[in-house]
Amino acid sequence: MRFHTFLIALASLTMLVSCRKTGKTEPVKWGLKVPAHFPEPVYKFENNQQFQARFELGRDLFYDPILSLDNTISCASCHSQTHAFADHNGAFSSGVGGTLGTRNSPSISNLAWYPSFMWDGGVNHIEVFSIAPITNPLEMKETIANVLVKLNAQETYRKKFRKAYNATTITDQKLFQALSQYMAMIVSANSKYDKFREGKTSLSAGEQEGLALFQAKCASCHTEPLFTDFTFRNNGLDATFTDLGRGHITQNPNDNGKFKVPSLRNVELTYPYMHDGRFFTLSQVMDHYSSGIQDSPTRDASLADGIPMTASEKQKIILFLKTLTDYALMADPLLAEPVH
Amino acid sequence: MENQRTISIFGEIKNRLMRTTPFLMLFTTALFAFSCKKEKEPEHVHSSSSGSVKVELAHEWQSISAIQDLLLDSNYVHPVTDDTFNFTTFKYYVSNLKLKKEDGTWWIHPESYFLIDLTDGSIADLTLADVPTGNYTDLELTFGVDSTRNVSGAQTGALSLTHGMFWTWNTGYIMTKAEGISPNSTTNSFAFHLAGFTGANSAVATVNYHFNDLTLQVTADHTSEVGLVAKINKMWDQLQLSQHNNIQVVNTTSHMLALDFHGGFSFDHLHN
Repeated sequence: MRFHTFLIALASLTMLVSCRKTGKTEPVKWGLKVPAHFPEPVYKFENNQQFQARFELGRDLFYDPILSLDNTISCASCHSQTHAFADHNGAFSSGVGGTLGTRNSPSISNLAWYPSFMWDGGVNHIEVFSIAPITNPLEMKETIANVLVKLNAQETYRKKFRKAYNATTITDQKLFQALSQYMAMIVSANSKYDKFREGKTSLSAGEQEGLALFQAKCASCHTEPLFTDFTFRNNGLDATFTDLGRGHITQNPNDNGKFKVPSLRNVELTYPYMHDGRFFTLSQVMDHYSSGIQDSPTRDASLADGIPMTASEKQKIILFLKTLTDYALMADPLLAEPVH
Repeated sequence: MENQRTISIFGEIKNRLMRTTPFLMLFTTALFAFSCKKEKEPEHVHSSSSGSVKVELAHEWQSISAIQDLLLDSNYVHPVTDDTFNFTTFKYYVSNLKLKKEDGTWWIHPESYFLIDLTDGSIADLTLADVPTGNYTDLELTFGVDSTRNVSGAQTGALSLTHGMFWTWNTGYIMTKAEGISPNSTTNSFAFHLAGFTGANSAVATVNYHFNDLTLQVTADHTSEVGLVAKINKMWDQLQLSQHNNIQVVNTTSHMLALDFHGGFSFDHLHN
């Protein structure tokens, strides 16, 4: 009887060890940490549980130009850690062959909290986000089928997908899930503003005044703590539209000229501004809201008279906006390009 | 026993485990085995009380003078508009197949997603395995992919994003994709990508096919057949290629085409 008992115990142990080999039963100790002053994230890694091997694979893919037609453009080409994961301060980004896109590459931090993606909200899930830049002829100009051929041809990627997902063949589902593991971990929550919210630092008198002005004049759309309410609005840039924005997605004329309210986190570093990158300074943005609003049938009702601000008030709001710069994010070695 | 020390980890575990009852260990073993199994593909339950059902979809073109099998790279004339069609691509999704038993209850086909591609010929066979034996009176299916799978991230199999049946810029599956050439089009070509899984202009619809006074008999280890016929020409009954040759948005026209496409399907036969 005792011998049998021992055998059963041994069998249990063997199975435990064989499970561990797949790297799938033991989640890593780290993962997405929800900052105390943040709401619950939208993306909960359903069917894509967080593991270090999956995150590292996603990071490799994010920095690898293999995702583009001629192996020249990676995700990081237009979403650079040094620029808070926005592009290098150009209005439009260069794709394969130097073609320019038609909208400004946004900063992609805090995507786990996003209910929709792209300036027009056309994409509804982080896992199906990457297919757009990969296949867009103005961006990476590649097919998903060919990306899979290229990845499956590399022993290193086959090994990494096997380790991360126990996958013998690399599929598009695992590719997109791995990219999501990395992208969802790009969290900006370590700015001076965040430390202030956590009670770890205080704002200067000017920053405090700027925060109060911001809350009175800007926060109805750029809602704390993510600094966007994720709605689509026409902020009075043009009287007529060359880009229909949200209207292109919904086919509803009432949505023409509307774009997603962008987060203002790291806004100091993510210039130029607006969906077409038309403003290069925060002062220009302030001037637009105070005196530059163009009327049109879909112009946001809250901007009927613009946003009245004195020159001094604009300066204080800008002072506050600079407290949203997250230097820790840009220095985070976990998110940096891996050295192989 | 409390103060007993062993040198090896295995010895320690052995000693600790030996203190518990064999039953508990069997339970533990089962637990580990179960946790391993969860990662594998679900196994089909095969029992003698189930058979298979083949759903045959026969695609046809009805011209004024004849009914022809619909094949790619062949010319067809529309009976209403007189437009000429030559298809280079014809693909569509059906999902969520169900069979209604005589007693009114439904058998639901699990993980039921099929991409029909006429590259494979004018007839598509969908095999439903492990259908409980019994008599069935109706087949229900959904044209397109249900809204849940359009909002749940990256999928696999028929729903993989590699089939060219997914919009990158406006998330959602292309439910029906018809492309080809026609002298009636101003561009000499046409492309209809019918999509949209929500709202008034959705291209997704669930349709029930009653077997009239017939009964589908599913018997053990046997394959029965339900045949549907699709008159593909119906899709363009209300649209001339000279007016529209390229629709790749969700609007009232794409909705009309989707409804007319679904309306071209009808129940044809059973083979027991």
